[in-house]
Amino acid sequence: MIVRVLREKCQGHARCWAQAPDVFVLDDEGYITPGDIAVPEDQERAAWRGAKSCPERALVIDDGATAA
Amino acid sequence: MSVPEHVPAGLVRDFSYWTAPGMAPERGGDPQGALAGLHDGPPVFYAPNNTYDGHGTWVFVRAEDQRRVLQDAETFSSHRRLFEQALGEDLPTIPLEIDPPEHGAYRSLLNPLLSPKRVMAMETANRARAVELIEGLKDRSRCEVMQGFAFPFAVGVFLEFLGLPQSRRDEFLGWADKQFHGTPEERGEAIRTVVGFMRELVALRRREPADDFMTFVVQATVNGQPMSDREAVGMGALLFVAGLDTVAAAIGFNFRYLAETPEEQARLRGDPAAIVLAVEELLRAFPTVLMTRIASHDTEFDGIFIKAGDRVSCPSMVANRDPAEFECPNRIDLTRENNRHVAFAYGPHRCLGSHLARRELVIAMEEWLARIPSFRIAEGTAPLTYGGHVFGIDDLELAWGEKAVAA
Ligand code: HEM
Ligand code: SF4
Repeated sequence: MIVRVLREKCQGHARCWAQAPDVFVLDDEGYITPGDIAVPEDQERAAWRGAKSCPERALVIDDGATAA
Repeated sequence: MSVPEHVPAGLVRDFSYWTAPGMAPERGGDPQGALAGLHDGPPVFYAPNNTYDGHGTWVFVRAEDQRRVLQDAETFSSHRRLFEQALGEDLPTIPLEIDPPEHGAYRSLLNPLLSPKRVMAMETANRARAVELIEGLKDRSRCEVMQGFAFPFAVGVFLEFLGLPQSRRDEFLGWADKQFHGTPEERGEAIRTVVGFMRELVALRRREPADDFMTFVVQATVNGQPMSDREAVGMGALLFVAGLDTVAAAIGFNFRYLAETPEEQARLRGDPAAIVLAVEELLRAFPTVLMTRIASHDTEFDGIFIKAGDRVSCPSMVANRDPAEFECPNRIDLTRENNRHVAFAYGPHRCLGSHLARRELVIAMEEWLARIPSFRIAEGTAPLTYGGHVFGIDDLELAWGEKAVAA
């Protein structure tokens, strides 16, 4: 699973980080680090919850081959 | 009630945050719930007299539309001259009334001071503040929560953040009381006092730097310019206005909800780890802030013509009850996940203090539930709630222990 990061939409709510701190890394100001995220399999559920919790819709889930 | 010419009559509604049903001060009211019915009407309408100083506003009902408005700061400016009337001058409350791109530089300066990590570093001191206040009142069997806990706690955290001694608490509490609950004259006077205080603090920290917030601000450079006194004062005054009443009101609504739902209260007392999620749901159900914007140029929004200068209102409490965004929005479910509420706004002005505020609300609930046995709304009382500019709760009498014998 890949999480696409629309960095310009991120406003630093840090909801993604609150759900999955190992997946979503924030910079010193509290905004998400740019770049799409390849999520390890054992983190997929937490990453999914984190992406879904972004109020700005800055995180888009791309489950590619593993689409359910 | 004059309606501008460009507003079609069909979009005008007799509505205001002061006069619509459930908005006026009321014992035992539910001002946020009272607005949920707006979702049965048009997604955008015009309310001809809908600000404290008599302006008309567009009202955006849906969460998705509010997201579009608030993310588009170029069209919808946040410079609303909040203090102009009270101060007789336009003191820009930074960063709230500065628009991007300038806004970004101020946020970059301030964000690290209130980032999730920085807030974690404040946790111990903030928790100690809550514990001290609750320990001081728990042996009574009754407490008016707003004056007895919510405001003193919020002010204590604020003083700590500004690096001011706690001995100033009562003075700040007095200003806060007037600013948020006074007559219009008292409010104006209180804001002038706060601005005066910030002016002195700015001057003091230029003369005598210390290791504190205001020293950091006055020594900062923004967009290649040294911080001016006016900017520093605007910043300090905004923090006062933004960070006290909001937190206190949220604590009030949260505790009231727990007092009225004994089974949820007992569940959270037995499972404190569930409090973080519960606080998010209560932020969704009982937010207090209306986001106001001013159209900076003529624009069209889904076929509606909005003229430069029009005020646009995005009530967070309405977006948070949007059935398109939340399943069963009027059901309060403290275990709700997938909760993208807008209590802290969307877009670049997302609440700078949101990470701190969240922790304040969690700490307050954790420590209260850990120390106060099963509590209820005190017999014969009902909290005074109100709508308006910032939704709130004026008094909340809680009782615990034996039921008092009627006197
Ligand atoms: C539960 C408590 C709080 C709530 C519900 C709340 C809500 C909000 C909302 C909705 C906004 C956006 C306003 C707009 O866009 O028009 C905002 C902005 C702001 N808040 Fe909060 N707030 C809370 C606590 C705090 C605290 C504790 C602080 C300071 C320590 C704070 C500082 C600010 C500042 C500085 C802004 C302006 C940000 C900007 O314009 O970039 N808030 N708040
Ligand atoms: S939840 Fe969204 S807005 Fe918030 S930090 Fe994560 S990506 Fe950014």
